[in-house]
Amino acid sequence: MTTLILKRLGIGLVTVIAVSLIIFFGTKILPGDAAQIRLGQSATPENVAAFRARLGLDQPYIVQYLVWLKNFMMGDLGTSLASDVPITDLIADRYHNTVFVSVLTAAIGVPISLALGIMAAMYPGTLYDRVLTLVSVSLVAAPEFFTATLLVLLFVFVLGIGNAIVVGSTEGKGLFELIAHFALPITTLCFVIASQLIRMSRAAVLNVMSSPYIEMAILKGVPRKRIIFRHALLNAIGPIVNVVALNLAYLVTGVIVVEVYFGYNGLATLIVQGVQTRDYVLIQGLGMIFCMTYVILMLVADIAAFASNARLRHPK
Amino acid sequence: MSEKRNDPVLETLSPADRARFLNMVKKGISRRDFMHYMMAAGATAAASGTLFTGVSDAWANTPKRGGRVVFAGDQHGPNDTLDPALFTSAVDYFRGRMYYGSLTRLTKNLGYEPELAEEVLSNDSATEWTFKIRKGVEFHNGKTLTADDVIYTMNRHMGADSISNASSLVAMVKEWKKVNDYEVKAILSSPNADLPIALGTFHFKILQNGAEDFSTAVGTGPYKVKEFKPGVRTVGERFGNYWGEGGYLDEIEHFGIGDPVARLNAFLAGDVDAMVNLPPKAISQVESAPGKSVWSLESAAYINIACRKDMDMSGNHDLIMAMKHLMDRQRLVKGVYKGQASLGNDHPIGPAYFDHSPDIPQRMMDPDKAKFHFEKSGIGNTTVPIVAAEVAPGAVDQCLFLQREAAKIGMNVDVQKVTTDGYWGAVWLKAPMCVVSWNMRPTANIMMTLAFKSDAAWNETYHQDPEFDKILVEVRGVTDAAKRKEMYHTLQEKIHNDNGSIIPLYRNYVDAVSDKVKGLTHVPLNNFGGAEAPVTLWREDA
Repeated sequence: MTTLILKRLGIGLVTVIAVSLIIFFGTKILPGDAAQIRLGQSATPENVAAFRARLGLDQPYIVQYLVWLKNFMMGDLGTSLASDVPITDLIADRYHNTVFVSVLTAAIGVPISLALGIMAAMYPGTLYDRVLTLVSVSLVAAPEFFTATLLVLLFVFVLGIGNAIVVGSTEGKGLFELIAHFALPITTLCFVIASQLIRMSRAAVLNVMSSPYIEMAILKGVPRKRIIFRHALLNAIGPIVNVVALNLAYLVTGVIVVEVYFGYNGLATLIVQGVQTRDYVLIQGLGMIFCMTYVILMLVADIAAFASNARLRHPK
Repeated sequence: MSEKRNDPVLETLSPADRARFLNMVKKGISRRDFMHYMMAAGATAAASGTLFTGVSDAWANTPKRGGRVVFAGDQHGPNDTLDPALFTSAVDYFRGRMYYGSLTRLTKNLGYEPELAEEVLSNDSATEWTFKIRKGVEFHNGKTLTADDVIYTMNRHMGADSISNASSLVAMVKEWKKVNDYEVKAILSSPNADLPIALGTFHFKILQNGAEDFSTAVGTGPYKVKEFKPGVRTVGERFGNYWGEGGYLDEIEHFGIGDPVARLNAFLAGDVDAMVNLPPKAISQVESAPGKSVWSLESAAYINIACRKDMDMSGNHDLIMAMKHLMDRQRLVKGVYKGQASLGNDHPIGPAYFDHSPDIPQRMMDPDKAKFHFEKSGIGNTTVPIVAAEVAPGAVDQCLFLQREAAKIGMNVDVQKVTTDGYWGAVWLKAPMCVVSWNMRPTANIMMTLAFKSDAAWNETYHQDPEFDKILVEVRGVTDAAKRKEMYHTLQEKIHNDNGSIIPLYRNYVDAVSDKVKGLTHVPLNNFGGAEAPVTLWREDA
C-alpha cells in the first residue's frame, strides 16, 4: 500500500514538472509581450520600450524558467506584470469565491446525485430510472450558459427573487448567507455536475451488479438492497470517486462560463484575463496551481480506490 | 433631461428668497400652502403658481446628499490601475475621476472650465501657459495642493522614457516651471492653443508630489478609496473635505461585467444602476423598461477600415475610392446601430468636434461611381483581403456590408475575421487593410496629429502629405476664427479625398442608466458621460 502511494506520488511529481515546462514555454509562444499589451492601442514604440525595460523581459528563457521554478517551490509566485501586485494577492481575492462555490456545489450536488444514481441502479429499467436517464442526458447536452439563462429568467425575471449577478463581497458572511449570495451559480453548477455523476454512479454500480459474485448473492437469496449496499457499492467506489474528483477539479479550474455569466471573480476568469493581458507570471502561477489541484485530487481518488478494493491493494 | 438648473422663474428671485423657497419645498410644503403664503405676501395667484412650479422643478433638480450607486463597466481585469499615466480603459478613466482632480475640467461642448487651476492664461502666441492653482484644496491624506504636486505630476508625462499613455498630448511642452507655490508655467516649443483642453483629459490627474505607490489613490477627488481590487471592484466613499461642488453620494461602486448579456441582465434586474455599452439590439428593451433610460452621447468616435497607402493593392487610390462608394452608410446607421450613430464622411472630424466642417458634400453609396473606380483600378477578380475583429460593436458587420455590396460589382472582398486578443500588436499598422476603432479626442487637431500626420506613430494608412502636415501645425497658432475654419476645412477635405481611411459613420457612446440617478454628464469623449460623471452624480431617492 505504502509503495503504491509512493509510486503515485512520484508519478504526480513528474507530471507537475512536465506541465511546468509546457506552461512556461507555452506562455512564451503567445504573440505580443506584456509591455505592449499593457499599454494597449495607445502605445508608441518609445512607451513600449521604456516599459519593457522596466519589467526586465530580456533574460534568456532557460534562466527565467529555473528562477521561476525555484521561486514557485518556495511559495513565491512573483509579481504580476500587468499590475505590479503580487500574484498571491490577486489569487487570494478570487480564491475565496472559487472555494466557496466549488465546496458548496460539491456539498450539495455530490450526495444528491450519488443517491439518485444509485437508486437508479437499484431499480434499473423502471419508470424512475428512465425519467432520470432522460433528464440527466438532456442536462449533459445543455451548455452551462443555457442552464444559467433559464435559471436567471425563472428566478429573477419571473419569480422576482435573487440577483441576476453575484453582487457585493463575501466578507463577514455566514454559511447560509454565502449560499444565498452564490445561489444561482451554485444551482447552475449542481445541474452541470449532477448529470455526469448520476450517469457514472448508475453505470458503475450496474457494472458490478453483473459480476459472478453478485449473481451468487442473488442465487443465495440476499435482498437486492443488501446486495447493493453490502456487496456492490464498495467495489464501485473506485470509479465513482474518480468521477467525483474530476468534477471537483473542474469546479476549481473550469467554471469560466459560469463566472463570466454571473459576473463574479474566480480563478478561471483570472487566468483568461491573464492571457488577455499577456501576464505570463500570472498564467504560469495559476497554471501550476490548476495542475497541482488535478494531481492532488486524482491522487486522493487513487488512494480511495486502493483502500476500497482489495484486488488493487494486493495485485498478483 | 435633468439639466434644467437655470430655471427662468427662479432666476428672477434674489438668492436669499431662492434659498428660502427651496427650503420650504424641501420641507414638503404643499402647493396650496405655498400659494397662501405668497398671496398673503401680496403676490397674485397666477404668479405664485408659476413660482411654485419653478421652485419645485429646481428642487427636483437640486442634488441630494447621500445614497449609493453601482456603475457597471465592461472589461476590467488584473491590469486595472490607480496610476493615471497608465490608464487604458473606460473603467480606469471612471475610477480616476472618482479619486483624482485635474487642472481643467472638460465641458459638454469640449471647452474647458477651471478645476484645480482656478485661472488659466496664455501669451498671445500660445507658447506659454500659466496655471494659477486653487488655494485650500486638500488631498485625501490632509495635505494641501501646491505647485510642487502639479510639477511632479506633469513631469511624469514628459521625456522619451515616459511610460505615460498620454505623453504625445503634451509632447510640445518643453518645461514645467514653478513660479511660486500657487502658480506654474508650461513653456512650449511650438504653439498649442488647446493645451488646457488636453490637460482636462483622463491621464492628467493631479498626484501628490513624490507619489509612487498606486495600491491606493491619494487624490483631490470627491471620493476616496474605500476598496480597490484590480479586476474585482472599487468602492469610493465620500471625501468630507472635498473643495468644490459635487461628491453628493455616500458611496460609488464600480466594476466591470465583461459579458454584455450578463451586464444587461444585472441592469434590468436592478442589481446595478448603470451599465456601459448597451448593445444596439437592447436599446428598445431598455427604452420600454420602466424607470430605465438610454444614456447616449453624440460623439465622433468611429470605426474605420484603414488601407495602407504604402503597399501595392491597398494603396491603389481607385480601389479605395470604390470601397468608399460601396459603404451603405444609411443602412449601417439604421440597421447595425439602431440610429445611435451619424453618417460618416471619410474623415475623422465628425459634427461633434468644434472644428467640424459642414461644407464637405456627404459621400453616399453610389454603385455606379464605385464600378467606375473599380474598373479603373485594374484589380479585377484578385481577392481584396480585409482583416476584421470585433474591436467595437458593429466593426465586423461593417466589413460584411461592404463585402456584400462589393460582390454586386464583381469585387471579391475577403473578410478575415480574427479575435480581438492581440489585435493591436499583430494586425493593426501591419495588415494592408484592417478594421480600427477610434475614440473621439478633445480637439480636431489632437485627433489628426495622432493618426493622420505623415510622421505620426499611428499613421495607420501610411499616407504622406507634406502640405497637410504644414497646415496642421500652422493652424495650432492661428487665432483668427475665419482663417482657422478655412484651414480645418482644407484638412478634412484632404483626408476625405486622398486618405486611405474609410469612415462610414460616427458612433454614439450608448450606455443605460436608472432614472433615479441624476447629475449625468455629457462629455462626448468616452462612456458614462466622458467618464466625467462621478463628480456630479446624485440619487433622487437618497
